[in-house]
Amino acid sequence: MGVKLERVVKTYYDNLEAGKITGRKCLECGAVEWPPVLVCNTCGCADMEWIEMSGKGKLLQFVMPATITKKDEMKDIKPYVFGVVEVEEGPAVNAMVRGINKKNREEILAKLPVDVHMTIIPRDGYSTVIFDLDEE
Amino acid sequence: MNPINKTTLHPYSRSVSIIGVGCSPFMNTLDDPETAGLTEGELFGYAAYKAMEDAGIRPKDVDYFFHGEANPFYCSNYITPNIQVSEWFGMRGKGSIHHSEACCTGYLALEEAVNAVASGKYNVVLSGCVEFGDAIVDGTKPSFMRRKFDFFEFQESLKWIYDNTYTREMMCGPNIHQDDGAEWYKAKYGLTDEQMDDTLIHMAINSRRGAVLDPLAISKKTYEEIAKENGFDDVMEYMKSFYNPMMSGNLRASGLELKCDGAAACIVCPTEMVSEFTDKKGIEVLGIGNATREANQPHVEVIGTQEATRQVYELTGVKPEEIDILYANDFFITSQLIAAEIAGYLPEGEGWKYFIDGRTAFDGDKPINTNGGRCSFGHAHAASGMADIYEAVMQMRGECGARQVKKLPKTAFLRGFGGAQNLASIILRTAE
Repeated sequence: MGVKLERVVKTYYDNLEAGKITGRKCLECGAVEWPPVLVCNTCGCADMEWIEMSGKGKLLQFVMPATITKKDEMKDIKPYVFGVVEVEEGPAVNAMVRGINKKNREEILAKLPVDVHMTIIPRDGYSTVIFDLDEE
Repeated sequence: MNPINKTTLHPYSRSVSIIGVGCSPFMNTLDDPETAGLTEGELFGYAAYKAMEDAGIRPKDVDYFFHGEANPFYCSNYITPNIQVSEWFGMRGKGSIHHSEACCTGYLALEEAVNAVASGKYNVVLSGCVEFGDAIVDGTKPSFMRRKFDFFEFQESLKWIYDNTYTREMMCGPNIHQDDGAEWYKAKYGLTDEQMDDTLIHMAINSRRGAVLDPLAISKKTYEEIAKENGFDDVMEYMKSFYNPMMSGNLRASGLELKCDGAAACIVCPTEMVSEFTDKKGIEVLGIGNATREANQPHVEVIGTQEATRQVYELTGVKPEEIDILYANDFFITSQLIAAEIAGYLPEGEGWKYFIDGRTAFDGDKPINTNGGRCSFGHAHAASGMADIYEAVMQMRGECGARQVKKLPKTAFLRGFGGAQNLASIILRTAE
């Protein structure tokens, strides 16, 4: 075992193209890295295995887009917010979350944390992951 | 939440003090015929030589220099910018190195210099930073021929501080951080949107009052004066009007940086050698805590500041109540609140009231960013942290004139932030 020179990033994006959202689990301490990286940031062990993510998460905090944070290239995924999401396997990330707008902002804020799930969306030549609010 | 790896700092091998500081005006050089066409060598050289003059030394006394610039390739068309300025302040041939940590560069510039002296390798080290945040070269003409770096082009260039593996592609990290501190604070302490808005507006007003008394600051008018010019007797009414629009979820225009051109520098030496160069008291660098947190990680500023601050308090034994003055790199003005509470300079959950009551202005009892910070002094990205070090040293010597704080500060806390993101917590103390 020990560190291996491997294409973690390419594997992750290839898996997205195949419809699978994957992370890496530490064989020593069990911590999960998502999105995946080479070595475990919890215990420092380099022995990691690929796992398929459950896709489930909780939205902990969010902010609406505004003048300097709206981007033309994000128009196709409106309405969205910029959120902090903790996924079921443990890691937390900053992530785009769809399904919140000015009308339901206050209602969702009052309910936080709320359940969200991962969605693979196409971009220009690759795919990425955003989150959608779970149906109530 | 994702765990953060922690570091224990060890004492410097020898104590190091700042003996000289220099700073150029922070300005948009192209807007004034007298400054249009200034180059990297001239700005850096000016700040560097001012620092040497302040320290009472000549270039031959300096053993080595550090050079910081946030965006040298795009703004200056240089990859090794330390070399291109190295003959502009009398140090031809001396060793140097360039470093670049975006908006945190100026704070880490002090770290580099202190480490170089603390290690014993050098006795006298200069550390300077320069940035043309408004006037950039095109690379095909001499460096005095420059053009405006407009807001949209600047915004486009900012993507280069973000990870291009996941963060840019997930689209959130580069866009949430403007508001993350404010949202985190509101949720933790139960503030309404309006209370946060009022807090950030007062923060801007307080900072501007100090900046207009600093001849080096880019801002020349208080918000009260600007409000009157636009027909408002009530400055708060002006600050909430369309003249000061909401630019992000929490930040109005008054809460965003004023990008500009500028340079700043300092000289450090072993504390035991200070009297060999200057009659002024040295400003000892007690310690510097560091953390980094990549922009895809939640609460970058909060968690990074907590860790850097923990390190420096643990190393130095300094207590938060000993801090007399605080500087926070506030290209998002919310940073004043976040840094001041994490440093224990303002009480947790109550700090926002200090801003509303004006207590954090230069003439208040809890002065913060007496030079006006990034939203009023200006933001020449790499140079800003060093400009804060300049201001802290000047305040600690009692040399700030009209903007001098009421009680001569003995201990200063500076919180560096930038580069998506580096965090640094620095404690300075007037050497006995």
